[in-house]
Parts: sequence; structure tokens; C-alpha cells
Amino acid sequence: MTERFDVVVVGAGPAGSMAALTLARAGRSVCLLERGPFPGSKNLYGGVIYGRVLDEILPRWIDEAPIERWVTRRVTMVLTETQSLAVDFRSSAWGAKPYNGATALRPEFDSWLASEAEKAGAVLVCSTTATGLLLDERGRTTGVRTDRPGGDIEAGVVIACDGVNAFLAKQAGLTSTEDPSHYTLGVKEVLALAPDEIERRFGLEPGEGADFEVIGGTGGIAGGGFLYTNRETVSVGLVLSIEGLSRSETRPEQLLAEFKSHPAIRPLVAGGDVVEYGAHLIPEAGLAMMPRLAGDGILVAGDAAGMCLAAGIWLEGVNFAMASGAAAGEAAAEALERGDTSAGGLRGYRKRLEANFVLADHRRLKRAPHLVLSDRMQHQYPQLVCNLVEEIFTVRNPSPKQGIVAQARQERRKAGVRLRDLARDGWSAWRTFR
Amino acid sequence: MRRPLFAACWKVVELRSSIDPLTGEVTPDHLSLGVSRSDEAALEWALRSAARWGGGVRLVTAGSAKTEAALRQGAAVGATELLRVDLPIDWPSDWIARAVAPHLADADLVWCGDMSTDRGSGAFPAYLAAELGISQALGLIGVELNGPDGPAGSDGPDKGLGFEALRRLDGGRRERLSIGARAVLSCEGATTRLRRASLDGVLVARDAPIAVRVGSRGTTVAPAVASIAPFRPRARVVEPPAGPTARERIRSLTGADAAGRTARAITLNPREAAVAILEALGSWGELPAGLSGERAGDLP
Repeated sequence: MTERFDVVVVGAGPAGSMAALTLARAGRSVCLLERGPFPGSKNLYGGVIYGRVLDEILPRWIDEAPIERWVTRRVTMVLTETQSLAVDFRSSAWGAKPYNGATALRPEFDSWLASEAEKAGAVLVCSTTATGLLLDERGRTTGVRTDRPGGDIEAGVVIACDGVNAFLAKQAGLTSTEDPSHYTLGVKEVLALAPDEIERRFGLEPGEGADFEVIGGTGGIAGGGFLYTNRETVSVGLVLSIEGLSRSETRPEQLLAEFKSHPAIRPLVAGGDVVEYGAHLIPEAGLAMMPRLAGDGILVAGDAAGMCLAAGIWLEGVNFAMASGAAAGEAAAEALERGDTSAGGLRGYRKRLEANFVLADHRRLKRAPHLVLSDRMQHQYPQLVCNLVEEIFTVRNPSPKQGIVAQARQERRKAGVRLRDLARDGWSAWRTFR
Repeated sequence: MRRPLFAACWKVVELRSSIDPLTGEVTPDHLSLGVSRSDEAALEWALRSAARWGGGVRLVTAGSAKTEAALRQGAAVGATELLRVDLPIDWPSDWIARAVAPHLADADLVWCGDMSTDRGSGAFPAYLAAELGISQALGLIGVELNGPDGPAGSDGPDKGLGFEALRRLDGGRRERLSIGARAVLSCEGATTRLRRASLDGVLVARDAPIAVRVGSRGTTVAPAVASIAPFRPRARVVEPPAGPTARERIRSLTGADAAGRTARAITLNPREAAVAILEALGSWGELPAGLSGERAGDLP
């Protein structure tokens, strides 16, 4: 027996639930498929949720969403084997409404967001995997096949929010050839610490959270590290280039253990009991890896569309997923209203993404992933900067202090950084982040 | 003739808990509500019973409204009636059995799982059988519903509603049972696996009606406990072992060559069975002095 809905959304993550919520509110019948036993059960992230995108859609999200801590401290850190240099920013404004970012646990957050979609009328079906698309004789998507007996679902539009592997987008022919350099592997441990101990170590007030983004500390593999404070746990992890990890023949958990033992990280996590370990692919290449976002009868959103923004100082995913899901929902509702769910009829999706921050940010920062993961940015510059700062602050009496410019020149030579590379990367950084 | 009714009892609990490594505090994961493999197997056997002999399947659980999502999963695979007995899930098994029993009075076979994932006592099926006043076959590790009809229960209304099952006993021993209606049965999770619900079933089950009855624990009569003491096997005086070699003396001492306690199948009424059990235990030296089969006359 075949079921029929206006729209079937595959994946009840932030993108899928927002798409389902938008469609249900538009009066459309929508089936939200989730392969895990509950939304969020299969999801993994270690990060901050920026919920501004929820302000209009779920105005009471600040009071209702299962938030762990509101981030008031943002640290960007550069690590070498023995040194660390940090830019430590705090804002008390981020600790009060309307807040800026928050840490959350995905099983709780995704379940809450999916429940909002259900309240609006979406039909959530868990423990059900979409195994493929249903296509008509012209190759147009007409629904999905699931792994349940009699599990075909026909729909006017399929919104594929099935995560980084993007199986449905691939089947629909929306993705180009896969490039491993477009992906990183995120590995994460969740360490249990008492709330007051977390607040003491990270210098926080109760309810406040910290977000540490780290360049270096990855054993020479391109990538970075992170630390986030939850209510009673700390998430610590690494993001590692797939190619670099493969070449190094090192296991990610070993790299994570080394990261945790770095002198700058150890005091923050020491004594924490590991309560969770996980690993997940991250689509990092932004625009360079984005598939075609619409096909006949199908839209792609969230990680499946490579919406994650990995631009050095900005690492955002959930807000991009939620915004793309909402845009996909609106575009699908509009196309159904017009009775045209072809790729052309669904072009409103791309227009919406271009009109809001999703594609605007990706476009503006399209050079960032390549720049951030470049060899010089990953290895030579952190070493150069840390050595320079160490030199500046090392007192060598009775020798007099050297001029900072002279020291910088000296450290640049020691680090083997050519002036023209420095100038080229500086220009590139300026163009990227201006 | 009345259509047979098969029932399955589920205990809906959090399948996972997190343990705070700092304080040892156990926090059940409210997102993981579900039932054990053995409870799932119980429903599958109930569904197969209905397929074999016709009739409906009533799925029963006890607890708060949060258990209803799990009940609907049962409806998705084919349970025809859903019933929730509203009561605190932390009641002891005998209270729960007393509250649930009135709603299973018309069931021919009541299938239960033999364990729940929250480390419950596993006593519910036995209490339920006692409340219903029907037979029990607990700890089933194999069920043969499709064999030839076994003897129907002597008090069962449906002749021919019988089958064979294998039950675990202590010491790795097994017992083959001939089961007929009416009975309470508990099965291990390994006996079978619950069928996967069709998509249609899942969607229809979203609106399946769930009857809710308020549970009452009734009047509780606590058993009189004469004394509580740790179990200490009684020392027995035995003759020095005979035999010319150490090996033979050890064999003699351990009774390796003696005739074993061979099993024998006897058919007795409950009172005679109790006397026989006490006599056997007494002859094996397992009973304290003064308590033996001779005192069986004291049995009520």
C-alpha cells in the first residue's frame, strides 16, 4: 500500500523539522521521516546553536528550547606543541535576552524541534529509513521508498535533509563527483564535570557557557579543535581533514587524547569522566561542494546540501540547517500552491536562500575553507605567531629588548615563511573576511 | 463459539539511563521509553496465537500516559485492542497484577515478557496467574504454536487451543510443557522477534484508541513472616568414605557412584504435589529438622 502526502521530509534534524513545521503551518500534509528511534538519536555535533533564525518562527524558543548554557565567552586559540595564544572575548550582553548562542544536546534539541513540527500537524515517523527515491518514467521524484513493509510514500515534493552522506541527492543526480577534501571528520568526547566545577574552570556564572575554537593541536593534520560547556558536561573534540588523517595513519581518538593533554587544554578537562564518544563527517567546503538545490520534485537542505559554514572564526551549522529547512518548506508550499513542483517551480528555494544569510554568508566566505585548511595557515603561521609572542614577552636581561618588527622578521625567517606567501595569504584573508 | 482472546502485557520503561560518574545518580533517559525484547516477543507470540486460532490481541500496559506512544507501536504491528491501566509504575508487582487482572479475565492466553530492562522483579506473571486463578508457564525458551494441537486446558472454553513449549529450569535443565487455555505465559526475548510494523500500520496506529482504566491495588494482605535468617546449608554427619584409593574415596564421598536424583514425571493434585515435594526434600536432607512431608498435613 502506498501512502500519500503533499510533502515527505527525510530526516528529523534541524533542517527537516523546520521544513516540516513550515509546511504544516502552511496547511500541507507532511510526513517527517526519521531513521533513529527518536529525533536527535543519530545526530552528533559539538557546537553552538545560534537561534536568531527561530525568533520569528518560534518566538518563545528562548524559554522553551532545551538549552544547556548561553554562551557568554568566546575564545579563539592557536596551539603549537608547547604554546598557546588566545583571543578571549566575553560579553555580558550575550548572557541576557535575546542572547547570541547556546550550547544544547542534540537528542533534546532535535526532539523538541520535531515536537513543534508535530504540534503544527506534521506526521513524525521514527525508526524508518528512506532507502531511495521513487521516480516516474521521466526521472521525476514522486516520493520515497522506506525500509518498512509497504513503505512507499508518494509526495508532491521530497525534501532531503538526510545528512552529510546525502544519499537521496545523489540518487536524484543533484550532486557532482565527491571530493574527500570537502569533508572533515569530527570526533568528540563528552566529559562529565560538576556544574560549579565547569563554572570555576571556565570562569563562568551559573547558566553561562564558553565556546573555544582552536587552530592547531591536531598532530599536524589540517583541522582544529573545540571545547564547549554544557550544563554538566564539557564537549571536547577535533575536526580533522579526511585526507590528512588517512595519510597520517593515526587514529582520531589518539589525536584527541593528545589534544586533551595539551598544557592549555588539560586544566580545563582534567578529571572529567568520558560519558560519550562519537564521530561524524562534516561537510566543510561550503559553496564548492553544494549540490544543485532543487530537482524535479525534490529539494535538498541542511548538511545534505553542504550548508555547514566552516570559515575559520565562524563555525556554524545548525542555524544554516534550520534556515535552509524553513526556506525549503516555504518554497515547497509555494510550488504546491501553484501546482508546479518541477525544478523550475521549486526555484523559490534558492531565491530564499540567496535573500537571507545562508547563501549570502557562503558566498562571502567561499574562500575561507580553503584558506583555513591550507598548510601555512594550519602549521607555519600558528608556530610563527606563538614564537613571536613568546619572544616578545621573554625578558632577556641584561640584554635590551628588541623591536617587535625586527623580532617578527626574525621569527618569519625561522618559520620558513616567505614574504610573498605571507602577503598573498594576507591579501586572500582580507578578501575573504573583509 | 466465543472468539478466543490473546493478551500481551508490556512494561514500558526507559531503555537507557545515564549514571552520573561523579555522584552515582541514575537518570532515566525519557527519550528512550520502550519495552524489553522479551516483552516484544510476548506480543509477537500473542499475534501468532491469534493467527493460529483466530481472535483478537489485547495489548495491556500499566503506567502513566507517557507509555501510550509505546502502546501504539503494538497497534502498528497488529494488536487489536490497547489498554492502559493508569497507576504508578513503581507499585510492587503484586499490586500491579491485582490492578491489571480484572482487565484480563476474558483472555485465553496472557503473554508476558520474562524480564524488563529496568531490572524489575520478574514476578508480575506469577502474581497475575494467581490473581486470575489460572495456570502459569514461566520462563519459556521455546514455543511451538504450529505443532499438533495439545490438550486443551481442562477449564478452558476453547477445545484444541493448546500447544507445546520448552521452559527453563534451574541448573540448565529444561522442561517440556503441554499448555492449554487459560494460562499466563512468560517468554524470553530470544524466543522470537517482534515483526516490523508496516508503514501503513504505523500511520494508522497514531490514531488507535487506547482504553484507560484507573488501577486499584485492592486490599493487600501482607504475608506473615515468622523469621528472617540467611540461608545456611545444614551440616550433615557422613560416614568416612570407604575405598582403597583416594580416587575411590572421593567418588564415594561425593556420591558420584550413587544413584542420582532421577527425575520422574508424576501427576498429582496440588496438595499431593506439595506433600511429595516436601518428602523428597526431606529425604535429601534439605529441610530443617521438624519440617518434612509428615507435616504436610499442616498445609492449608
